[in-house]
Amino acid sequence: MNNAAHLADRLDLALDRMLAVEPSAGAAADASNQIDDREVAALTAIAGELALLPRADFKERLALELDAAANTRRRSSDPRALAAAAEMLPTLFGGGMALPPVSRLNVAASLLVHTLGLAVLVGSTYYVAEHRGLPAGHMVDLVARELYPLPPAPVRPNGGGGGGSREKLDASHGALPQAAPEQITPPAVKVPNEAPKLEVAPTVILSAELQSPKLPVIGDPTSTPLLLSNGPGSSGGIGTGKNGGIGGGTDRGVGIGSKGGYGGGAYRVGQGGVSAPRPIYAPDPDYSEEARKVKHQGVVGLWLIVGPDGRPRDIRVQRSLGMGLDEKAVNAVRTWKFEPAKKDGVAVPVQITVEVSFRLY
Amino acid sequence: MRALVIPTDERLMIEAAQRDPSRFAALYEQNFDRVYGFIARRVRDRAVAEDITADVFHRALEHLGKYQWQGAPFSAWLLRIAANALTDHWRKTSREAVPTADELLDSAVADETESRAILAEMVAGLPEDQRRVILRRFVDQRSIKEIAAELGRSEGAIKQLQLRALENLRARMRSQHE
Repeated sequence: MNNAAHLADRLDLALDRMLAVEPSAGAAADASNQIDDREVAALTAIAGELALLPRADFKERLALELDAAANTRRRSSDPRALAAAAEMLPTLFGGGMALPPVSRLNVAASLLVHTLGLAVLVGSTYYVAEHRGLPAGHMVDLVARELYPLPPAPVRPNGGGGGGSREKLDASHGALPQAAPEQITPPAVKVPNEAPKLEVAPTVILSAELQSPKLPVIGDPTSTPLLLSNGPGSSGGIGTGKNGGIGGGTDRGVGIGSKGGYGGGAYRVGQGGVSAPRPIYAPDPDYSEEARKVKHQGVVGLWLIVGPDGRPRDIRVQRSLGMGLDEKAVNAVRTWKFEPAKKDGVAVPVQITVEVSFRLY
Repeated sequence: MRALVIPTDERLMIEAAQRDPSRFAALYEQNFDRVYGFIARRVRDRAVAEDITADVFHRALEHLGKYQWQGAPFSAWLLRIAANALTDHWRKTSREAVPTADELLDSAVADETESRAILAEMVAGLPEDQRRVILRRFVDQRSIKEIAAELGRSEGAIKQLQLRALENLRARMRSQHE
């Protein structure tokens, strides 16, 4: 270790001792008197003087205090300032509070900003209150409607059929024809050929276990018109569908489905112990602006299938309300989530009707 | 460096501050080191010295309107206020033998006060690295280890800077007395 480093260490040791006792000139003198090393003692005495210097920010802080006090005194001695101050709140500009002076321009800017902020707050609240759609109260009824008076199928029904001969009248009411595993002659209310060369009884593809009410004429059991008609469907059969069945489907069965059989692809609530689905997430529909303006109220009827996943699908409007409320109802119901219907503990698709009531309170 | 103030200039500054108290800042800046040094030398405690210094300048600002120029430096008036403030302080703290204000303002004391004010100026004139070490070590009272960590230097280097700074100050003080 060279001499300079040694001296630096000895000096630091003496300074530590001095600062630990008390950072004052007296302590420095005492400390330096106890040091044999003259060099270190002289430097420690200077350090003792340094230890009494004010803190770095003290001078500036005191200057600010004095400046604030001076400004207060200046205002208090100025008659114009006194008159102005009398008109204002006593502490608005920090007078007499030993605070730095507050600029009038800053106060004015702050007042302006706060006023604008308050105006925006009040205005936006008023706007929202005026333009927000009133809460669309809704009441949902889950209604199981028996479209066809048929007992439940032992297996999941996923078939259906439909037909018609492009008539203007809806299909007429009547009984289902004979059920058969195969169809040779499609059912018809109006028989196009009264004297066929080879007469075969009309049938629909259904399980033989299925019973149909005994009615004198063949027709669509769900239809109400009594005037004989094959319905507006096509390709033979009865109803609004096509391909030789009865109903709105596309095959030779009965109902709105396809590939024979009956049912339209979903169970119905109550049949064969099928439980009703329960809505677990059903947000309110919005009210359409058009309907809200004229205070249009009522109920929209929707037909839909709730899948095993609890999601609605194939939503159709059964009872229209108009003025955009049908679309609002469909859009809302499309987001709903159900606890799915169950048969024997297994989630199954089920068709239901939902009524969405729009009311203005 | 000591500020060279011509009495006439100081008189103008005082009169300006008497008309507009916000001009008092110039007088404060000019006399702060002297007043603080006078007080610190006697109370031997930085916190107390700061309190009394603040009190002195507030009193001076308050009574500036009563000040009458009689040829004496403005600092003499401030030191008179400081001496009175010290006397009040010692009376409140039950010091046994309280010196009078006149005793405090003898010539020898004034010299010491001057030397302390000069010391503050000398610190300001030190090279940057030495000045930072001195301020951190003695004004902020940090340890060598803390200063080394703050400045990113070794403790040995900080000790060397401390030594050189104190030697530098001693040399400047000697040349001041010669």
